[in-house]
Amino acid sequence: MRLRTTREQRILRFKTVVRWLLYYFLILSSFIIMTSGTWRKPILLIPIPICIAINNDQYASVFTGALCGFLIDISCNKLFGYNAVILSVSCLMTSLLFELYLKNKFVNYMAITAIAAFVQCWLDYKFYYQIWKYDDVSRIFTRVSMRIWLYTMISAVFIFLIIRFINHFFMPKAHLSIEEAINTRNQQQ
Amino acid sequence: MREFLKSTRFKIMLSFLAFLVGIMIYAVTKGGYSVSSVSFINTMTKPVRKVTNGISMKFERNVDKFNKADEYYEENQRLKAELGELNKKLTNYDALVAECEELRKFVSIKEEHEDYILSVPCKILGYVTNDPFRSFTIDKGSEDGIKPNCPVVTAEGLVGITIEVSKHVTTVRSILSPDLSIAAVCSSSSADTGIIEGGVVAAEEGLTRLIHVSPAHQLKEGDLMITAGSSGMFPKDYPIGKIKSIGYDSNGLSVTAMIEPCTDITRLTSVIVITDFSGKREDD
Repeated sequence: MRLRTTREQRILRFKTVVRWLLYYFLILSSFIIMTSGTWRKPILLIPIPICIAINNDQYASVFTGALCGFLIDISCNKLFGYNAVILSVSCLMTSLLFELYLKNKFVNYMAITAIAAFVQCWLDYKFYYQIWKYDDVSRIFTRVSMRIWLYTMISAVFIFLIIRFINHFFMPKAHLSIEEAINTRNQQQ
Repeated sequence: MREFLKSTRFKIMLSFLAFLVGIMIYAVTKGGYSVSSVSFINTMTKPVRKVTNGISMKFERNVDKFNKADEYYEENQRLKAELGELNKKLTNYDALVAECEELRKFVSIKEEHEDYILSVPCKILGYVTNDPFRSFTIDKGSEDGIKPNCPVVTAEGLVGITIEVSKHVTTVRSILSPDLSIAAVCSSSSADTGIIEGGVVAAEEGLTRLIHVSPAHQLKEGDLMITAGSSGMFPKDYPIGKIKSIGYDSNGLSVTAMIEPCTDITRLTSVIVITDFSGKREDD
């Protein structure tokens, strides 16, 4: 295996730090957007950890998912930790799926985000509204939950572009030594 | 020279000068009015002078622009900065006036209800994201004496109740929520009572509902509903909202009325919390 030089290691560390700072800046900005104003808003903090989980290991994904979940709980005034659990699980599964089975493609990201956002909206409707059997409660699902899901899906496109932009500049490239390349080629044959 | 002084030419010129002096003296005697010939000339040349003067002024202005471009630019910049400052002051002034108006309203609550212990005015931090029942957070918490289950009001009417209190932030459940039930009575006839409780459809329009009203009611549109104060959670006789429409509920047994809150719950800027009042139920 090729050893990285000290300079390369420094650059790698610097890029990683900047990348994560930008991720968390994006998360914080989304939280502020979510908590301001009176309009219905997309749950921006769902596509962000999903998109981060696609390109990062399980630990980082779960931690980011939990953080975003806590922020959703605060902004939506839900039981503290409720969304953190949902998003931690979603991000862990996303990270594993993309590591083992799926390619890092926009379509896959949108599909996973759609499922995660739908699950979050559906559980939210179930536990916070339907369970209490309000009159005409199904209107909340069609008029609020589904609309928010749609908004979230639209916002997911922009989130993907932003995170891809960050990754383009600050995601360290995988280094392969000549021996590794030959071995990989032999294994494929 | 002597020849010139004796010549006819000189005499003619002298006569002409005398004529001019005569005209001058005549003009003086007119007492401010011009002589007829001047008047005639002025009238005749007026349109031409108007046009030429316009052209001349335009030309001068254009030349002036080039000559004093730097000066004008500096003046423009200075005026822009002054305008910015004035706008800033105007914005601050408007905010102060609005704040003053709100505080004046809150003072009126205390004047009308001496038994109320009020919190300091609370600003709305924001509405709970995507909540169909318009819960919101305020910028005061337990350090300001706010406790859970305290009524939240504006000078116009009841807004909701505190549900989750942290040190500096409190979450308020609005009267649009079906999770909040308030005993209410009609201000004009104390016999007409009911429960104010939000609903999914009503909340979409920023309204709440009056439920469990007797079929033998005498309510009519526009009647003001006030708190009954029987539960000890809300002070007695505080306005909630006006009846917008009256109908029967889904089972057809009791009357339901749509209530338009006295305060527009969807556009709040500041509220006040009643931390104590006479008749308040003490929680265990």
